[in-house]
Amino acid sequence: MATAEPNGSLIEVRDLAIEFSARGQLARAVDGVSLDWRRGEILGVVGESGCGKSTLARAMLALVEPAAGSVSLRGQVVSGEGAGGRKGVSDLRRRVQMIFQDPYQTLNPRQRVEAIVTEPLRVQGVPEGKHDERVRRALDDVGLDPERYLGRYPHQLSGGQRQRVAIAAALVLEPEGLICDEPVSMLDASVRAQILSVLLELQKRRVLALVFITHDLSLAWSLCDRIAVMYLGRIVEQGSAVDVIERPKHPYTKALVNAVPVPEAGGGGRRELLGGELPDPTAIPPGCRFHPRCPRRFEPCDSVDPSLMPAGGRDQLAACLLHDPAQSSAAKAAADA
Amino acid sequence: MTSLLEVSDLRVTHRGSPIVDGVDFKLDRGEALGLAGESGCGKTTTALALMKLLPPALTQSGSMTLRPEGAEEPINLGRRTEAGMQLVRWRHISLVFQGAMNSLDPVQRIDAQMAEAIRLHSDQKGGKEVGRKISDLFKTVGLPVSAARRYPHELSGGQRQRVMIALALCCDPSLVIADEPTTALDVVMQAQVLQLLERLRESLGLALILISHDLGVLGETCDRIAIMYAGRIVETGPVRSVFDDPQHPYTKLLLDSLPVIGGERGLAPPIPGAPPDPGSPPEGCRFRPRCPYAKDECLADPPLREVAKGQSAACHFAPWKKWPDPRAAAAAGKKA
Repeated sequence: MATAEPNGSLIEVRDLAIEFSARGQLARAVDGVSLDWRRGEILGVVGESGCGKSTLARAMLALVEPAAGSVSLRGQVVSGEGAGGRKGVSDLRRRVQMIFQDPYQTLNPRQRVEAIVTEPLRVQGVPEGKHDERVRRALDDVGLDPERYLGRYPHQLSGGQRQRVAIAAALVLEPEGLICDEPVSMLDASVRAQILSVLLELQKRRVLALVFITHDLSLAWSLCDRIAVMYLGRIVEQGSAVDVIERPKHPYTKALVNAVPVPEAGGGGRRELLGGELPDPTAIPPGCRFHPRCPRRFEPCDSVDPSLMPAGGRDQLAACLLHDPAQSSAAKAAADA
Repeated sequence: MTSLLEVSDLRVTHRGSPIVDGVDFKLDRGEALGLAGESGCGKTTTALALMKLLPPALTQSGSMTLRPEGAEEPINLGRRTEAGMQLVRWRHISLVFQGAMNSLDPVQRIDAQMAEAIRLHSDQKGGKEVGRKISDLFKTVGLPVSAARRYPHELSGGQRQRVMIALALCCDPSLVIADEPTTALDVVMQAQVLQLLERLRESLGLALILISHDLGVLGETCDRIAIMYAGRIVETGPVRSVFDDPQHPYTKLLLDSLPVIGGERGLAPPIPGAPPDPGSPPEGCRFRPRCPYAKDECLADPPLREVAKGQSAACHFAPWKKWPDPRAAAAAGKKA
């Protein structure tokens, strides 16, 4: 297997589509997504509930079968078109782990911390002689004293401690990547800062790549290197965290940034908000899928489906006709008015 | 002008352990007060105590006086019996629970559930009258009237939360208490619901107590804010003053730990440790064990006192003119 260069991709997603059948109809939860997750990088995937961000995360771990497209690990296709079989998937799940929003639901209530953190080692067939040492090291890494916590059950832990145990269980295999699906959205401010600092500390010390799946834009902005914004199964904007959040180029990203409540008194109630809700993924609007809610739509937006195109900063891409040189400036001006 | 609600020395205990430990505040007509703090600080318990809806294992004491518009005499909530409270709930004060949108009955249409609540709690009994009330309420909260004929699962989370707000308004109360009304919603929906609350406050002259752990949410919606820690209010004042110039170390550290877009990127140092167990609160200032600025004086309990115009803090060293670097302060404290 080719060893990837230090800044190469850990995971490459190409033209990925994931379909579910919902009430007899086909819903495309992910609809043509291409994304690179580089080694050691913190990547943010943001969007509203139902935009497909969690489904994308599951697809990156080959937990759902793609309807089209592929997922590769360090250049080897492991899921979708051209996948090489079980070995690739098993390799993927050793190198990339995932933690979820609710540590109350992901930890087995009848297992002690020791058994919870040991289980991944057993599943991946790590020799038993190494278990104790690696479990203790993983607990140390997340700031839990092994002596005190190995024998505890989940109900004897606080929410923050449970999330630490979940992280320890994910890290015990020493993965290169950790996908965090809303890892702190259920935790209080001070606990959440503690968990995030554990994750960032590990990211630096172990050169761990992180994906943050979140609807919290201020969190994504402050911690991520790059951000991808999803809307109804598509990436509508991507680029560096600073470019995307401070100088958004897609009207949807702008609306999301506008909706973030700021800890400053008053004024927020007066700003313009995005109306309506995310459409049903079984009935994706024609043309640009955001056009029914878009404050800046113009003539061809209801018929032309824009792909990601360069906009604004370096490596910043937006799927919006406002950035398409082929669209007449007169139409764009009308959209601005 | 007399205030709408006056709470003084509110206490709630569980087997002798204080959950809420001497809380005082006033609320004016049409005012929005934010109650902030981490889980377990007593903010939800305070809300339930105001409605006298605490589970039987908890006992409450203290005085709570409500002066609704048009009432001849103030209502002493503290002394009211359960039967007396039933005349207060919904009519004068209503509560939107955390996750309330999931408490709708899944097998009944929305309008049937609303009609039941309206008949039970208001004077409106006739079918036509109730139907008109429902469509009025739907308009007020920005829901299409057609949504009334739907089942809860056919509505989105944001729409269900609007239904709960409509229900809270069904008897024209003067005060709505909303406990984490937007926590389960994502940003766009959250902003829409907050904007709705703001609008209702203006158009109906509603007073609001908004409970949230999210200071951003409170900053946008409230006039005043009270920060709770371990069962007590440690700081209170106009939102702007508290956010711009916090006077309690806990408020200061909490605000510093929030990422603000356009500010400094990266992670602020977290507040070390965890809030105390209500069964064994630390001696003196409750925040002392976690406070980087703690000194010997802090072994004495600091009272909540006014330290700037309209702003009170429970810290011996307030008013703080300047905040020393917390890490340096903590290191110096250890040496001393």
